[in-house]
Amino acid sequence: MKKYNFKHIMPAVLSSLVILYACDKSYLEVPAAGALSQDVLANKIGVEALLVGAYSLLDGEGSSAGTNNGPWATSSSNWVYGSVAGGDAHKGSDPGDQNLITPIERWNATPSNSYLDQLWQQRFDGVQRSNEALRVLKLAKDISAADVTRITAEARFLRGHYHFELAKNFGNIPYIDESITYAAGNYLVPNGPALAKIEADFAYAYANLPETMSSVGRANKWAAAAYLAKVYMFEKKFSEARALFTAIIANGKTSLGVKYDLVAKFGDVFDIPKKNSAEHVFSVQMTVNDGTGAANANSGDALNFPYGGQTGCCGFFQPSFSLANAFQVDANGLPFLDNSFFNKPIKSDMGISADKPYTPDSTTPMDPRVDWTVGRRGVPYLDWGIMPGSTWVRDQASAGPYEPLKHLFRKSQVGVYTDGSSWTNGFTANNYPLIRFADVLLLAAEAEVNGGGTLAQAMAYVNRVRTRASNPAGFVGPANNAGDVSPTNYKIGLYTSFPDATYAMTAIRMERKLELAMEGHRFYDLTRWGTAIAKAELDAYAAAEVKQGYNTMVGAVYTANKSEYLPIPQTQIDKSQKDGKSVLTQNPGY
Amino acid sequence: MRKFLRLITVPLLLLGLVANAQTRTIKGQVVSATDGKAVAGATISVNGSKVSAITSEDGSFAVNVSGTVTLSVKSVGFSAKTVSVAGDQNTVKVSLTEESSQLNEIVVTGYTAQKRKEITGAVSVVSVKDMKSVPSGTAEQMLQGQASGVTIIGSGSPGEPSNVFVRGITSFGNSTPLVIVDGVQSAPGDLSSFRDLAASDIESIQVLKDGQAAIYGARGSAGVIIVTTRRGRGKASITYESFAGIQTPRTGNVWNKLDPQGMAELYFLAAKNSGAVDANGNVSSPQYGTGKTPVLPNYIRYGTASGYNGAVDLTKYNNNYSKGDIFLIVPANKKGTDWWDVMFDPAGMQSHTITATGGQDKSSYLFSLNYFDQKGTLLNTFLKRYSARINTTYNVKNNIRLGENLYIFYKQNPRIGNNQEGNAVNNTAWEQPIIPVFDAGGGFGGTSGAGLGNSSNPYANQMRQKDNQNHEWVIQGNVFAEVDFAKHFTAKTVFGGNLGNYHGFYHNYRSYENAENGSSNGYGQYGGYNNNYNWTNTLNYSNVFKENHSVKLMAGYEVLKVSGRQVGGSRVNYFSDNPDYLSLNTGSPIGQNNYSDYYKTTGNSILAKVDYAFKDKYLVGLNGRRDGSSVFGPENRYGNFWSASAGWVVSQEDFFKNVKFINTLKLRGSYGILGSISNVGALNQYTLYGGSGGSSYYDLFGTSNSTVMGFYATNLGNTKTGWEKDKILDIGFDATVLNNKLDITFDWYKKTVEGLLFQDQAPAVVGVGSQLPQVNIGDMQNTGIDLGLSYRGKVNNDLSYTVGVNIGAYKSEVVNIPGAAGFFETAYTHNTGPQVRNAEGHPVGSFFGYKIAGIFQSAADVAAWPTMPDAAPGRFKYEDVNKDGKINDADRTFFGNPNPDFTAGINLNVTYKRWDVSTVLYGSFGNEILNETRYFQDFYPQFQNAKSIPLLTESWLPTRTNTKYPIVENNSYFSTNGVINDFYVEDGTYMRIKQLSVGYTIDPVKLKKYGIDKARVYLQGANLFTLTNYSGLDPEIPGSSTSFGVDWGNYPPSRTFNIGVSLTF
Repeated sequence: MKKYNFKHIMPAVLSSLVILYACDKSYLEVPAAGALSQDVLANKIGVEALLVGAYSLLDGEGSSAGTNNGPWATSSSNWVYGSVAGGDAHKGSDPGDQNLITPIERWNATPSNSYLDQLWQQRFDGVQRSNEALRVLKLAKDISAADVTRITAEARFLRGHYHFELAKNFGNIPYIDESITYAAGNYLVPNGPALAKIEADFAYAYANLPETMSSVGRANKWAAAAYLAKVYMFEKKFSEARALFTAIIANGKTSLGVKYDLVAKFGDVFDIPKKNSAEHVFSVQMTVNDGTGAANANSGDALNFPYGGQTGCCGFFQPSFSLANAFQVDANGLPFLDNSFFNKPIKSDMGISADKPYTPDSTTPMDPRVDWTVGRRGVPYLDWGIMPGSTWVRDQASAGPYEPLKHLFRKSQVGVYTDGSSWTNGFTANNYPLIRFADVLLLAAEAEVNGGGTLAQAMAYVNRVRTRASNPAGFVGPANNAGDVSPTNYKIGLYTSFPDATYAMTAIRMERKLELAMEGHRFYDLTRWGTAIAKAELDAYAAAEVKQGYNTMVGAVYTANKSEYLPIPQTQIDKSQKDGKSVLTQNPGY
Repeated sequence: MRKFLRLITVPLLLLGLVANAQTRTIKGQVVSATDGKAVAGATISVNGSKVSAITSEDGSFAVNVSGTVTLSVKSVGFSAKTVSVAGDQNTVKVSLTEESSQLNEIVVTGYTAQKRKEITGAVSVVSVKDMKSVPSGTAEQMLQGQASGVTIIGSGSPGEPSNVFVRGITSFGNSTPLVIVDGVQSAPGDLSSFRDLAASDIESIQVLKDGQAAIYGARGSAGVIIVTTRRGRGKASITYESFAGIQTPRTGNVWNKLDPQGMAELYFLAAKNSGAVDANGNVSSPQYGTGKTPVLPNYIRYGTASGYNGAVDLTKYNNNYSKGDIFLIVPANKKGTDWWDVMFDPAGMQSHTITATGGQDKSSYLFSLNYFDQKGTLLNTFLKRYSARINTTYNVKNNIRLGENLYIFYKQNPRIGNNQEGNAVNNTAWEQPIIPVFDAGGGFGGTSGAGLGNSSNPYANQMRQKDNQNHEWVIQGNVFAEVDFAKHFTAKTVFGGNLGNYHGFYHNYRSYENAENGSSNGYGQYGGYNNNYNWTNTLNYSNVFKENHSVKLMAGYEVLKVSGRQVGGSRVNYFSDNPDYLSLNTGSPIGQNNYSDYYKTTGNSILAKVDYAFKDKYLVGLNGRRDGSSVFGPENRYGNFWSASAGWVVSQEDFFKNVKFINTLKLRGSYGILGSISNVGALNQYTLYGGSGGSSYYDLFGTSNSTVMGFYATNLGNTKTGWEKDKILDIGFDATVLNNKLDITFDWYKKTVEGLLFQDQAPAVVGVGSQLPQVNIGDMQNTGIDLGLSYRGKVNNDLSYTVGVNIGAYKSEVVNIPGAAGFFETAYTHNTGPQVRNAEGHPVGSFFGYKIAGIFQSAADVAAWPTMPDAAPGRFKYEDVNKDGKINDADRTFFGNPNPDFTAGINLNVTYKRWDVSTVLYGSFGNEILNETRYFQDFYPQFQNAKSIPLLTESWLPTRTNTKYPIVENNSYFSTNGVINDFYVEDGTYMRIKQLSVGYTIDPVKLKKYGIDKARVYLQGANLFTLTNYSGLDPEIPGSSTSFGVDWGNYPPSRTFNIGVSLTF
């Protein structure tokens, strides 16, 4: 018995241990759960899906960025960096809410402001998703040459877009092509001007993309052309821009083959069911009720809805006094190009509680686009009825009396174009038009003035935009809601002459302000036009706002050779050190 | 070999002889020599035979013997004794001398057990009796202050997991110790198998703190908590233990909030300071009218109007979306609503345990049932747990033992998002006092009117969640078999694990009363399981050569697996909010959402251990382990870990015999290399692609409601990531002094983590939406001391007492951090960005930002100071740290350290005749707290939520300059609360009476007629007093390992009074 124990059990136990151990090497081979490896995607379907993944970051979301300010920091509409910083709007809401926006609004953001880091992260994520499609494309064997070219062109278009977004905001950026990867360890790329490389991406896309695409959301040849021409404008390559714009205006068409044109009514540009029209050169596609809890809606703008009404939360992005005032017109229906509007406030309900009587101004002549851009008390607000004043404003005393309009949804669209599965109604399917045809026409007008064209042609482009705005069928009024009548005295005229280049440029700048207000373009336009123009306008803006009661701008000054660009995020500088020195150079002035 | 065979043949022959002789029964009793009290559970073995017995509760035993025999009597806490029993003697009384120190206590040190005096490593042996005296629903909370070097940070939320750190934080990820309950390992970083143990089931707890935890290899670096549950022994008995009581929350103006009139005046003050006045100097407010001074309105909301004083038509009231537009009528509560009082109420607590135990030489058993029910003082929070345990052992033959430990529990534990912005605790601070709990129509009052802030009615939130449920069933335990063979060998196999199942559902209601309301109702349901098991096979050899050489060997093999799955879904826009109506398929398919995921990791290991002792004087221990894990790539799949330790029992030396004041002294030291993988996910080694509707699908077709599938690189893998090396050097001593009355255990340690596993910190240009892998970068170092003191005093036969003190102190230093930056930031707030910077040369979790040098008093003061954004009189001036004449990001600096200088626990027990008094005190000293709640309370611009009194009475004005509170303004600025600064830092030192109880044991003689062997009744108070200067609710602030001590609104512990009883039948 004992003999048995020792002689047999011991070796049995020991050898079983050894056998178990030896067998178990495969035990440690656990395949990855719920994910795909690269070889599964290295084919046509896989690469096309990676390309869709690159498109999907256009909406400013979907990147798990390392800071948690919310999607508003990365909104595709650039409402913070383009419109609020550009003087179109106040941050809005309560002063303490999202107060990291305030320094951006006051042009003195510090490099550690985490809004900037989040923006940087999201846009570079888009760059790398575009690059990933290019990288895996090279591994795929089953894709036709034509598709290889098309996919390359789409990916480069998107890469150009994401880089351009970074360049507009930060100026000097590292340009990241498909050779830069985490695995290769070659990611410490110095920053500098990147427009030339961005231009090359769009030029490739323009040269290689088909005119019509399989779906409306894809970039086509003409979207690339418009983007390329826009980059030329930033590079001050005006004659190249002029030539290209001429071609676009003559021959450009949407991805579905519809010739570019302005839609008949100004308000229809922003009406959700009318998205992807002839005017929408390239838009970010937004969806609702797609089973994702509103993750593909315009979340970046979800805060920007009147407060206290039925449109959701949170009362951000309130149009500025100066923007509303700029819509005043002279006897000819033309705007005040001498900037006198800054100090000529229109009547508003600032300081007047909603339960106190208020009669809106019905005599001052105003550009009809005002009521599609600035929600004012006493004026119909889409089909939501007459804007009631302070009850729709979160904190009128600190943020002003106006409400935004362009990205809103109509009452009749609730549940169809809005998503109720998240915390606010302000998740809509309203696309953000990155480039629309009116933008193209006005840039073309600038190219005419500066790129060897004629002032007459420039004026014609501007007047084409104004003609559409003057269509009485498109004025705010009964069309919105039965019985609603706008009290505003609408008046809009056409320019009859551009006597010189200076006048022409002043008129064009004003036209861009009015036509593209609240669409995230203004600050970048001002930077593009030069520091002198930017400083003059924004300092005047700050002073005018303070005078009318917006004391957030007290002491705010645009600093030449600094405020043109946001600072490079400090975290990124810190993470990019090589040999004790960062490869990223901070922008001047910070 | 032959010799060996002979060795084991002899006892067998003897056994045969004994069996043939005439047998008789010896009955006896074992008592304590000190007080004559019966000693239960003592082992009596008959020398030269396998016969043994265990004494029952009254100390009695019986053994069958023949002839003259020698009995060996052993019991924990007593010196072993042998007595000779003559052939004609049938009764015997053995009195055992109490061991004066704890040195003979059996301590489980990882796969094996040792006597405490043989230990060469640093092990905290927890006084389970003291621990159990703390009335709590989580074992972590009971452990607080009971083991030196173990830091536990909890809260008052019933069932809330606590932070547990052994010897400080040693990882930027999960720094949670490994838990082993009856030999079953927890999943990495998961304390849940410990948390929900029924306190009465716990037999012993040891915490391995030093390099010897290398026997657990890759999982031992954050310390190992080893729990053994009770097993049956002695006479069959049934014990009923119970306590019940009441927890009382703090009362009064705990947040120091302004009343409605004060809030109104503050609004006017801010407006005036910000220049928001009209030409006549009037301020206009949507609530308080226009004028020089505010007037409280009658209604804060009437339909769309705010600050309403007109006539009210109650028929217009509507708070139901399905009945048309919302029309709220909310009266102002001019006296003020005390939101704290609304939310926090006295709450009951009870625990009942029935335990049946018994054991003979063939088998032992323990059955226990426990019901624990703790209502939270915060509305609709509670912990309710039903648990059952069956532990059994069978001695199949003299050398074969089989057994199992099985624990099953079911619990429900609704909690708030503790210490998170916007939770129920926060909202009691934020909700303005002018807001009533209920409005005029019987609905909830809220912030929906103008100028009332953005918080939500916490009462409404908690009431709406009352129908939400989460159910958990967990089975944990093991089966084991042990075979003794060839005299010195024991082979053991243990298979055990934890199987957790959960399911739950929740409702979202469409609120109407708040400033920010949800847009739809919703209902969701979810469920899943989490599994882990380990199978451990060990072979032990133990022998003593030539009397002086004691050798113990252990070798083993282990496999581990961790896996789980979950699934869930939700829909919105239900026709009815009636909970009985709600199931997923009755919701709208528009906006439906679903998800599932699963995970699996495996590991295997071989391990070995050698302990050698010479004459009980010189002790040496070695152990080693080779671990394999599926989370690493093939190149680095296996890691080796080892430790060496030595001890010298100085008091055994001849030259020490004359030293009278030291009874025993052992010097010891250990060094080990351990690892950690708890931060490495299952996918770390792979570069992977994936996508989801929200993150990578896109509406290419412009449909507005559907998307096309898209993918992206979700994970950037690193196959080179390997094992973290944690090196622990420990030097210490164990001593008994003062006539065996005082035990001292002291350790100095240095814990160096090299190749710390941490997520790579590459710049964003690599695409940070793809998850970066954990890589071996960063080094960290903690040096510290642990000190344990235990004193037993005896005044006379009636009065005796014990005092235990545990002190742990450490200095944490981040030695090296990934990437070029030398730091990483964490604890982001959407208001001011990161608050915490973990940087080289600084303690982990350090607070980082601007240092306030004072308040600007005048324009001249501003001009004289270095250039600073938004500088103005009344605002903070920041220190120009780098002296470059301007204040910018480069001037941010470290201004606080959340790591305590030391933590201390004190246990005191006094016994007087039948009375006993015990108390547990716990304190944390020298740590700092970042009181983030002050960001919301002490600055006006952070929404118009409720504010603190000093804002009105002490804030800076040209006429009130000697103050710490800056000027009250409408906007946030760089120079007020726009960036993180040291305004929020406070001393977090505190000392708390965790438990104080007075008990009385009733004379057993009087109980005999009721069939009760033993009865004790007691009165108890918990969290009776907390001494602290901290201004927030409570200084004990949990967090994560990289950001802790940041107070976002923590559920504070409540003062508790219990009455308890313990009966043995």
